[in-house]
This record gives sequence, C-alpha cells and structure tokens, in this order.
Amino acid sequence: MSQAQPAAAPAPSPVRRFLLSTERRRIVYAWCAAVLLFVIGNVVRPGFAGFNSVQAVLVVASFVGLVAAGQTFVILIGGIDLSVPWVLNGAAILMVTSSLGQNDRAPLAIVLTLGAGALAGLVNGVGVALFGVPAVVMTLAMNGIMEGLTLGLSGGLTCQACASYAPPIVQAAVHGHLLGIPAALYLWLFIAIVVSVVLSLTTFGRSTYAIGNNARASYLAGVRVTASVVALYTLSGMFSALAGIMLVGFGGQAALGMGDPYLFQSIAAVVIGGVYILGGRGHYIGTVAGSISLVALISVLMAMNMPEYGRSIIYGVIILVLLLLYGREAGEP
Amino acid sequence: MAPAVEGIGLSRSFGGVKALANASFSARIGEVHALVGENGAGKSTMIKVLGGRIAPDSGTVRIKGQEVRLSGPTDAHALGAWTVFQELTLLPWMTVAENLLLAREPRGALGLIGRRRMAQDAEAMLAGLGIEHIDPLALIEDISLAERQIVEIVRAISHEPDILFLDEPTSSLVEREVAWLFGQIRRLRARQTAVVFTSHRWNEIQSIADRITIFRGGEHVGTFTEINEDEAVTLMTGQRVDTLYPPVPKLPSPAPAMRVEKLAGPRLQGASFTLHKGEVLGIGGLAGHGHRELFFMLFGAERAASGTVSVGGREVRIRSPRDAVRRGVGLALVPEDRKTEGLLLAMSVRDNLTLSVLRRLSAGGLLRQAAERRMAQDMVARLKVRTPGIANPVGGLSGGNQQKVLVGRWLLAEPQILLFYDVTRGVDIATKHEIYELMLRLAAEGRSILFYSSDAEELAHLCHRVLVLREGRIAAELTPPGITAEQIVSAAVRDSLAA
Amino acid sequence: MRRSRWTHALSQNAGLALAFAMLLASLIIYCVIYYATQQRFPGGFEITTTVNNTMPLALAAIAQTMVVLTRGIDLSVGGAVDLTNALAAVHLGTTLGSTVLWSVLILLVGAACGLVNGLLVALGRLQPILVTLATLSIFQGIAIRVLPQPGGQVPQEYTNILANPMGPWSLIYIVLLALFWAAFRRTRLGVGVYAIGNDEAAAQSNGIDVRRTKILAYMLGGTFSAAAGLFLAATSTAGDATTGNGYTLTSIVAVVLGGVSLFGGRGSASGAMMGAFVTTMIVNILFFAHIDPLYQAFYEGLFLIIAVLLAGGIGRFMRRRAA
Repeated sequence: MSQAQPAAAPAPSPVRRFLLSTERRRIVYAWCAAVLLFVIGNVVRPGFAGFNSVQAVLVVASFVGLVAAGQTFVILIGGIDLSVPWVLNGAAILMVTSSLGQNDRAPLAIVLTLGAGALAGLVNGVGVALFGVPAVVMTLAMNGIMEGLTLGLSGGLTCQACASYAPPIVQAAVHGHLLGIPAALYLWLFIAIVVSVVLSLTTFGRSTYAIGNNARASYLAGVRVTASVVALYTLSGMFSALAGIMLVGFGGQAALGMGDPYLFQSIAAVVIGGVYILGGRGHYIGTVAGSISLVALISVLMAMNMPEYGRSIIYGVIILVLLLLYGREAGEP
Repeated sequence: MAPAVEGIGLSRSFGGVKALANASFSARIGEVHALVGENGAGKSTMIKVLGGRIAPDSGTVRIKGQEVRLSGPTDAHALGAWTVFQELTLLPWMTVAENLLLAREPRGALGLIGRRRMAQDAEAMLAGLGIEHIDPLALIEDISLAERQIVEIVRAISHEPDILFLDEPTSSLVEREVAWLFGQIRRLRARQTAVVFTSHRWNEIQSIADRITIFRGGEHVGTFTEINEDEAVTLMTGQRVDTLYPPVPKLPSPAPAMRVEKLAGPRLQGASFTLHKGEVLGIGGLAGHGHRELFFMLFGAERAASGTVSVGGREVRIRSPRDAVRRGVGLALVPEDRKTEGLLLAMSVRDNLTLSVLRRLSAGGLLRQAAERRMAQDMVARLKVRTPGIANPVGGLSGGNQQKVLVGRWLLAEPQILLFYDVTRGVDIATKHEIYELMLRLAAEGRSILFYSSDAEELAHLCHRVLVLREGRIAAELTPPGITAEQIVSAAVRDSLAA
Repeated sequence: MRRSRWTHALSQNAGLALAFAMLLASLIIYCVIYYATQQRFPGGFEITTTVNNTMPLALAAIAQTMVVLTRGIDLSVGGAVDLTNALAAVHLGTTLGSTVLWSVLILLVGAACGLVNGLLVALGRLQPILVTLATLSIFQGIAIRVLPQPGGQVPQEYTNILANPMGPWSLIYIVLLALFWAAFRRTRLGVGVYAIGNDEAAAQSNGIDVRRTKILAYMLGGTFSAAAGLFLAATSTAGDATTGNGYTLTSIVAVVLGGVSLFGGRGSASGAMMGAFVTTMIVNILFFAHIDPLYQAFYEGLFLIIAVLLAGGIGRFMRRRAA
C-alpha cells in the first residue's frame, strides 16, 4: 500500500525510550513500590529502613522470590502452579528427615529433596503438556497428592526423624553472613542472575516467551513446545523444593502448613512484578521487585501492629489496585 | 429517496495499517449491491463498520437517511440492518435451535423458555426458507461448515431485515446451496431489502448484482452498473494483470524433490503426486476440500492415517513440524492465518525471524546475539520489510510486512521445499508482487514450492502445474497451456464438470 | 438422517452422564466395602451424615459452576463461605425473626461479594483468576474480623431445618436445586451465561448484554457461596472463619468431576452437585477401606487426575465415532 509512513518522531531520550515498553515500566513501578514501602515503614517505625532491618526483610523476601521464580516460568507460558504449598512443605520435611540434622548427610539430602520437587513438577508438566489436563486442575491435584504423601509418610509429622533440625550447614547457608550480608541473599542474587540470563539470553528462554505468546505458532515454527513446557514445570517444582530447604534452614525445623502462604504470595509477587498472567511477557527482575514489595508491605503492616485480618484485606486491596492500574495502562483485555 | 445505508468518508486503522482510508459506500433500497476488491481492500472492514461490529476512526454512517452512531451490532439490528460476518458468530456448544433463536426464545409458563417449542420454531424457520437437511437439535460443532454458514444466513434473514450485509456468504457453499442463497436474495430484493454482499467469484457477482462497487487499498474506486471482468480486475489490482504476475521461469528437466503416495487422513482420501526440483506446483479447489489437511500433514502438524512421503528419494517419517524442519528433510510451511498460526505478534521482528533457526544461533544454549541481529537485519533488508527496527513488535507492521517476516523466517531455515498456504491472503498488491517474484526466484534456484491459493488467477499465472483437490481427492491435473482460472474453478466444482 | 431428541440429549450431555456413572460406581464401591467391613449395608444414619456433610460443597460447586460457565474461575468461593459462615455464627441469634432476617442478609452479603467480583471482571476487564485471588484475601480478612475465634452459635431449629441429623431430609434441597437449575437453564439469563462461555464476542453481537450477564452470574455465584456458608454453619452448629477455605479447591474438584468444562459454556450445576457427592463418597470409601486418613488428599488428587483423563478420553472417543 502506498500510505505515507508517519514522519519520524524526534528520537526520545534513552530513559524515555526504555520506559516506552509497558512491561519495563511495570518493573520500574514495582521497584519504586519497594523503595516507597521502606520509606513509609521508616516513618511508621524509625529504623525500618536501616541496614539490618532491610536485610531481614530481604531474607524473608528471598523465600517468596525463589518460589516466584518457578511461578514466573509457568505463568510466562500461560500456566499456573497451584502445587506450591505442599511441594514446598513436603520438601522441607524430606530435607530434615533425610539429613537427620547431620552435616555429612546434608549434600545427599539436598539432592534428594530437589529431585523430589523436580519430580512433582515433571509430573505436572507431563500432565499439562502431554495429556492436555488444564494447568489449574493438574497442579491442584498435585498439591493434594503431595499433601497426602507428605502427611501419610511422615505420619502427620509424628515420625521420629520429623523432629530433626536442619543440618547446621543449611542453617548457616541462610543465617551466616559473608562480608556483613546474609548468605541467603547471595544465593538469591545468584539465582536471580541465572534465571534472568536463561530467560533473556538463551534459546530456551526465547522458546519460553514464544510459547507464552502463541504456542500453536511456536509449534509450527519447529519449537520444542512439549519438552519446554515439561522443563518449565519441572523447574517450578524444583524452586518450590529449594524454598522449602531454605525455610527449614531459616526456621530450624519443619512444620505442617508452612507452605500455605507461598501460593498466594508467589502469584502476587509475579503479578506485582508486571508479568502478564496470560503469558508471554515479563521478567524475573520484576518478580524480584514484587517479592520485596510484598514482604516489605507485610513487614510495614506488622510494624503498625495491624492485626491479621487487616493485613489480609490490605493485600487483597493492593493487588486489585495494581491490577486496575496495570490494566488501564496497557489498555488490553 | 435516501439510500438504505450509506458510509461517508470512513477511515479505520488497525495497528497503524489503514484498512479504510476515507472510503464511501452506499446501497439503495431494493437493490443487490456487490462489494468487490482484493483481499485487504477494505470490504470486510466496511461491512463491519456499517454492521456496527467496529467503530470507524472518522466518517459518518447513515441508515435510511438518518445519521447514526452504532456502538454494537445490536444498534444496527434495531435499525433493521443485519449482517452475516465472515467470521461466523455461532455458539459452538449450543444447538442450531438455540443459535437461531438466541435472545428471542419463545417463552411459556413462568417466563421459562420452552425447549420443545423452540425446536419446533427453529424447524419451521428452516423449513420456511426451504432448508430440510439441518437438524435443529444438533450442536453447531457437529454440523459441517456449509451448514453453519446456512444457519448463520437463515438467522439473519429470519429477522426480515431492511438491510442485509453478507460478507463472503458463498465461500464454503457448493453450487446448489449458492442457488438457494440467490433465490433468497432475489426474494428479499423483491421485498425492498437492500442486500450488500462480497464475493470473489465473478460469475456469481454478475448473475445477481444490480450494481458493483470496487474497493482498493481501503479506498472507493468506483461504482458501476455494467463492467466486465477484465476491467474490474484492472481496477481492483490497480495494475494490468500482465504486469502483476512476473514471468514463470522454464522448468529444467524434471527431477523429483518430493514424492507423496496415497496420503490419507481426515478429509484427505489418498493423494499421490510428485513435486519436482525448481517447480511451483499449484494446489487449487474450494475451501474445505482437504487442502489445509494436505499441507499440515506434509508438515507433520496433523496426523496422517496412511501414505508415504519421500524427500530426495528417501522415505521420511514426519511426525512433528520439528521433524519437517530438520536437515535432510528441509520443509517449510507458511500457514494461512499468520496471526494465530504464524507470528508471535507481541514479540520483535528479530525474535520472529530467527525462531526456526535458534539452534543454529546457539552456543552452548546461549544465543549469539550479534549473529542473530545481523541475520535479522540482513533478512529485513533482503525482503525490504518496512519496520522502524528489528526490535519493534511485529504486530505493529502492516499485513504485507508481517507476511514478509513470516516468509523471511522460513528463508533463514534454508528449506528445499516450501509449502505456501494462501500466503497472499490479506496482503496488499505491492507486497503480493514481491512475494510472487520471491517465489519464482526461489524456484529458479532449484527449490520446490507447493502453493495453495484461494485465488485461481494466482495459480493460473504462477504455477508450472496445478492439481485440483475436490472432496479430498486430486480431481484434475492441469498443465500448460491448460492452466486457466476457469479450468481450475470448473475442476473444483463437481456440478459443472459434465463437459 | 435425523436423530431422536433422546439420542441428542445423551450425546450432548456426555459429561453429565459420566458424572452420574462415577456417582453410581462410587456408591456401589462404598456399599461393597461397607458391607465387607461392617457386615451390613449403610443405613439411614450414614445416608444422613453423607447428605448433610455434602450440602455445603454441593452449593459451593453450584457457585463455582456459575462462574466457570462464563469461562472464568472463582477462587474467592472459600472466602465468601468463610465470611457468611462467620456472620451466621455471630448473628443468627435465637429468635425466629432474627434468624430469618439474618439468613436473608447473609445471602445478600454473598451476592455483594459476587457483585464486587463481577464488576471488576466485567467492567474492569481483569482476569477472573487474579480478581478472585485478591477478593479471596479480602473476604477471608473480613471473616476473621467478624469471628476472630471459632465459636458463635446456631440455633438447633436452624440445624434441624437445613441439616436435620435425624434423617436425609436435605435431599429435598438437592432436588430443589436440580429443579432450580433446570429452570435457570430455560431463562434468558441462563442462556446468556452459556452463550458467553461459548464465545463472548459472538454472544455480544447476537444481542446478549455480556456485562450485565457476567455481573449477574458472579452475583448468583456469591449467593450460592453464602448458602454454602449457611449450611456449613447449620451442620457444624457453630462458626469458624477458616473452615470455608477448603471450598475454593474442592468446589473446583466437584465442578471438574461433574463434567463442567473449565473452558466455559458446557456443563451443568446438576453435574457439579454429583461431583460434590462423588468427592464425599471417595472420603467415605477411603475411611471404610481403612486407609490412613492422612493419605486422603493423595487419593483425592490422584482420582481428580484420573477422572479428567477419563473424561477427556471418552470425549475424544465419542468424537472419533461421530466423525
């Protein structure tokens, strides 16, 4: 067609150009929200934005962030992982029962636990990709399966080994400091870099976005859709297990129900971080910001002595407000 | 007397592409008005605007002389204007009766819908228009495409419209059903209804239209009461036919590139043929007769029930597109619907171009960014893709440029055999011409092309040979000088094959 | 070749037929295992407890069906059950007047919960899964505010009416609900709900007010969640602001077992109620088969996957035969 192309607009400044993409803008918003919450927290309770307090918030955020890494993967392909609570909880219990709190058993226990998480994720992926079970149903069923197995095999956490503590080495990996910064944060930073590199710079990451955008077109272009989907669910299971290991390292012991908050929080972190719930767009760096904002918010509310019910209401309202803001901005259904 | 419906100076863009550019159209009371033009000329957009499906960016719509603002099809319905859109609007998991009577169901005691009465009403409605073979209790997903088209038409007619828009109503109908439709249209015309329809079949247009309006590139070219096909085609394409199609290179001595033996599966009843090196082999026929299945089976995207495929003299098993793409087979499929089956609209031009060759760009899993960028830039330059940059989302490009990106993706994969499935659909003339040239250049390089087109002219002008599929079988093989659009169409339609 | 009404009805309701088959199978297995372990068949007491225990889930499943039919999903069902259950325990009181008044008010609260969801989904054009995830948190918060500790009281007469422990009178409600659904399916609103689930754009262009229909579907869903909360309060004779949580997931399970398509437009609330009963029967079977109750969730999860695969397999099989 011979329509005249619109005259080239004057080149925008680099900052403006960066912010032109809505997904990048959302990431910036998420980081601004995190900073803002620390500022508000500092007003409510002076010292909240201090070095130690920020560290404490970040350590707790790292657990959410790890689970949310897996959730980011599956949401990027338009799926969802509802099996987080009991994969995490099962992993935590498997960690203490297989290591019995002994350092020399720890490496094997960690491998075993991550493997179990990966296996649960693998089954999810096979169900979704090969058998066409809707992700909501498959991962919901897997959550039940893991709950039953965990409770049944541990006798409802009454087994002798269940009372074991996490091996000191695992506890140190969460609590220990290196150059004045908790070890858990190094781990999170490492994971964040790996996940971001995988998503942005590898063929696997490119396939992930492609599938999330249009699975049919990707298949017709020769992308390995089934294998990628299975791999992504497997990774999600493994990240839940990793968070379980970190949590027993943090708390010392496993408990029943310790995974429950992480379903809501991981999805919320992904959404706050600007990942599209229908898939195809978003970055882990946004999810990291989402995790920090969410945990900072919880901490601020606790600092304000907000009772549980108030916190619950406020999470919900904030998610809705963010959804309305994002929805308005993107102007898409 | 005021026209029944009028669009004045209408413009509408989609993602920066002008589908309608200050276009006008009007239809009189009691006339049958054909709206013709190439794919992408703006016919469907005009009908959607007049039917209330989409709002124009600028311009006015008048119905029965009154200026109106339609915020949805229901507004148009209230004014007596009903539309059968090209994309059917039937509800797949509901019955024919429920669809026919949607939002006007007969209600009995307690205001509840009477199921039995609904079935009877639907049956009567179909019978009243001479349709006996459609079961009102069948689900839409269980009836054929042609039957769905008829149900959609019956629903519109049953509202006794003053203005009726039919967008490609005959695309999936056979001759007998077309005759039924034209009978209905004549009846409506006698009742002073204005009927506006679009079609690609010239004999249909001439047999029923009182006036013909030609669109090109989103603009109104002219309205005629009398015009012959050649003049019309020239006006539609804006180019003389002999300059639109580049000359077909001579086929070297035939050497088989791909041999297909008795390939069968859903809708395909056993097709055997050989595709030669450097050949453009056309596949013609009406939609729904197994073309799509043939292409998708060859590419491994649909399961074949039986049959064999050999490439380069060796039998190959292709069970997924991934098998088809791999070295040694070297197939590429450019599908019909680039938006749902081809492109990742939200992703960049670069991402779309390199999607099929990611493995070649990978160094231990990491993408070689610089190489990828170079590869994408070269292809953009080679195909003259008009885009602000390779990082821009492909969804923002015009239809023609999107199609070029899709073709470019497959050129990067360096295939030996290209399956082009209706690639020029919804593409502007200039790009069409470029695609034709590219196709013939690829053939001259010794690659083989299997080319399906819904446009018989295209096949006639670009192919070395044409196979016509009818009801899943190869009904005719046309070779020069016997390849003409008329021959292709008549081979595709059984009823007129008596000669 | 025209098929009879009944052939059509059967082939077009394969999901419902499958749900019924599963219900029948689970009942038979239950009776067999019961007889094997107890040397007698289950009697009035067993039937009564099963029915009374299933009523809240059956209602929650209808709530979920309403939303799933429009191609949505309602994760806030559990929150709405919590909230209404808590309100019931605190406010029903002892006088007839207050009981009736508060029952109506609580149903209205449920409708209001649904209204919030519906407005956000239909007018805010947000994803149902995210909206209801957020409102789940909000409803749960309010529920805990209303009833911070488990407790409160439900009058005995109330329990007798909704969940009579002396006999399976609640089966009457099941019949009434099935009748309600048959009627609902024959209203313009009901047809609209199905039409939206089939194809929203097509429904819109055929004169269905999509926004209004969606909002009403969510509101009706909320009302059924509230009814579930009331029945839950009646069976447990007291309130707890957290026991309702489980209904989000179990209602989805019941809906899937009941043959309602998660992609919208297909299925019925009657099927979902059957799905709810199948869920309860599985728990009963596991109990009488002396399977460690700790493993209960495992078998439920396993069964859910098997049922979905089975339903998909049968669907494909029927399609192939039809083709």
